[in-house]
Amino acid sequence: MLLLQILLNGVLTGGLYGLMAFGMALVWGVLKILNLAHGSLIMLGGYMVYYLFTLFGIDPFAALPIAALFMFAFGWLLQRFLINLIVRATMLSTLLIAFGIDVIITYLAQLFFSADFRTINPAYSGANFSVLGLTVPVVDLIAFIIAVILAATMWFVLNHTPLGRAIRATAQNLTAARLHGIDPVRIYAITFGIGAALAGVAGGLFGLTTHLAPYIGAELTAKSFVIAIIGGLTNPFNVIFGGIAVGIAEQLGSFYLGATYSDVISFGLLVLVLVSRPARSLRAA
Amino acid sequence: MKRKIPPRLEPELSEINEREAGMRVFRLIAGAIGAFSVLLSPAVAEDGVIKLGASVQLTGAKANTGRYYRDAYALTIDKINEGGGIKVGGKTYRLKLDLLDNQSDVNLSVRQYVRLITSDKVDFLLGPYTSNFALTDSSVAEKYRVPMVQGGGAAAEIFNRGYRYIFGTFAPAGDYFVSTIDMLGQLMPKVETVSLISADDSFDLSVAKGTRKHLKQAGIAIVLDEQFRDEHGEFSSILSKIKAAHGDAILVACHEPDALNFIRKAKSLGVNPGYFQSFTVGVPTADFRHALGDDANYTFGMTAWLPSSVLKDRWFGNAARFAESYKAKYGYEPDYHAASAAADVETFAYAIEKAGSLNREAVRDAIAQSDFDSLYAHIAFNKTGQIILPQIVVQIQNGELKPIYTDKFLNRPHYPIPPWNDR
Repeated sequence: MLLLQILLNGVLTGGLYGLMAFGMALVWGVLKILNLAHGSLIMLGGYMVYYLFTLFGIDPFAALPIAALFMFAFGWLLQRFLINLIVRATMLSTLLIAFGIDVIITYLAQLFFSADFRTINPAYSGANFSVLGLTVPVVDLIAFIIAVILAATMWFVLNHTPLGRAIRATAQNLTAARLHGIDPVRIYAITFGIGAALAGVAGGLFGLTTHLAPYIGAELTAKSFVIAIIGGLTNPFNVIFGGIAVGIAEQLGSFYLGATYSDVISFGLLVLVLVSRPARSLRAA
Repeated sequence: MKRKIPPRLEPELSEINEREAGMRVFRLIAGAIGAFSVLLSPAVAEDGVIKLGASVQLTGAKANTGRYYRDAYALTIDKINEGGGIKVGGKTYRLKLDLLDNQSDVNLSVRQYVRLITSDKVDFLLGPYTSNFALTDSSVAEKYRVPMVQGGGAAAEIFNRGYRYIFGTFAPAGDYFVSTIDMLGQLMPKVETVSLISADDSFDLSVAKGTRKHLKQAGIAIVLDEQFRDEHGEFSSILSKIKAAHGDAILVACHEPDALNFIRKAKSLGVNPGYFQSFTVGVPTADFRHALGDDANYTFGMTAWLPSSVLKDRWFGNAARFAESYKAKYGYEPDYHAASAAADVETFAYAIEKAGSLNREAVRDAIAQSDFDSLYAHIAFNKTGQIILPQIVVQIQNGELKPIYTDKFLNRPHYPIPPWNDR
């Protein structure tokens, strides 16, 4: 029973991990930019939901779409007027500018939000129920369901809408996409906006289950990176599965080896995937 | 083809070359003298100014607590200067703070302490926050033989290396749970088994090591002994183990963000603490209560300091007045980190006056013989350079922080802690 509980914890945590990584995978796949500021966008989304809840009394789950909308606009503007300037530059330049954006967002967050630890803590935040002797945390379960719904929505958008086809075409062959009348500048901005919006939702859910501080971004970026590699950059469901794989591996590792090894386990898993399936992983990246 | 230099330019060029060569020799000699004097002479103070240097976490993951040190150092230095400064051999000196931001990066912190000594030429050193930093930064102080009084690191490793220049105003980490264990012996229902959880940093490992010894002496069995990565606690699996272990109490050695995550995750997984749970760090701060709301209730913790008017102080009057000035100036309440930092500055003030000079060796000896009352505690260092200070057991009751126990009960504890679904 204890093992089943550990597995359940891993699956629920992994769903949220997948959602966190999803925006990064999308931007990486389409713009070919490894967005090192992704964790900071998650953090910003978390603070947005926190303030919508504490200042305006909006329920955190109702605040998620609002945060997503603002984060979309933020991501769109960021890409359109800053990242687009270097979108075709060398890998090092794009990494550096993304890192710079990460530093600026982080320090501005401390300036405006202070270094105090925040939690999004509605009355139901610690609620749980039991099924067959297993304890299921309600918020974690809802977060997992939201992750799956968003993955399904994104899968539908990418595969069955003109916008999704344009995004995929831009990712696969930029020249051919241009020849078919797709404006890559517009597609890049929309894709980055969607990535930021997904990060915003993930941030709100993260604040509901743990805590927020201006400096959580770096760790979340690293985790998203691992999951994006494991899950690949093309299929939203694979990213969620990647998240679940990391979640379960971490929980089992913590259980059998000790919780000090959680990062060793997730990055060890990354190395294992790269060694065992290098062609697929590199193609995806 | 070789370009011919016009004859009229030749003397000028050779003149310039000679001048440059002369300048180079002069710079070399000047540089050598400068470097030699830096190596041999102790830092020379500006007229009437004593520079105290510190590298503190103003940004980064530990900025939340680092701010206590920045603000308490500045407030205490201002207060001492307002009170007439420090008298040394008939001359009055003002204190001046040279504060750097280590961005919560321990390697940067080490480099900054080297810079403070060699480039900024500070006279003495105040410490950073937390044991990991104090552990490495104190090696810089020892190497350059500059006294450092730090109020941010309690780990035994800082003090058991035989260093002469490091002094600490936190009580030994291994004794943090002593008053808690003492109190548990007097409460019914009796705690007979505990789960001991700790982060894997220097401070928390020291706490855990000492706590195992004290629990054994008290006859309390440890049913679960687990570590997690400091400030990255994801507690699902540990909490599932705690639930399965059925201990009577949970003792957690960690810093504030992990304490927050632990309590939130425990509630969502329905893991009850048994009769009792306590955390080494975080519980006394207003930030902790604010972040957890009602979920913070019943949680026990500890503090070495409360802003009591009983603690008399030469510059602030007493601890309560210090807390008032602090809150008025910075807009948030000080906790024991801030009080400890204030005591560090005062330690230098007393020691420099007692030594009657700015000579680092003389001041170091005077610090070792410190014996004064401050807003924080009575300051007197033991042979290893630490002070002995009992922790006050505190509990959050109806959103308020209450002192519960030192060597006797100060308030009635809400004990045993009710399960989550009965609150």
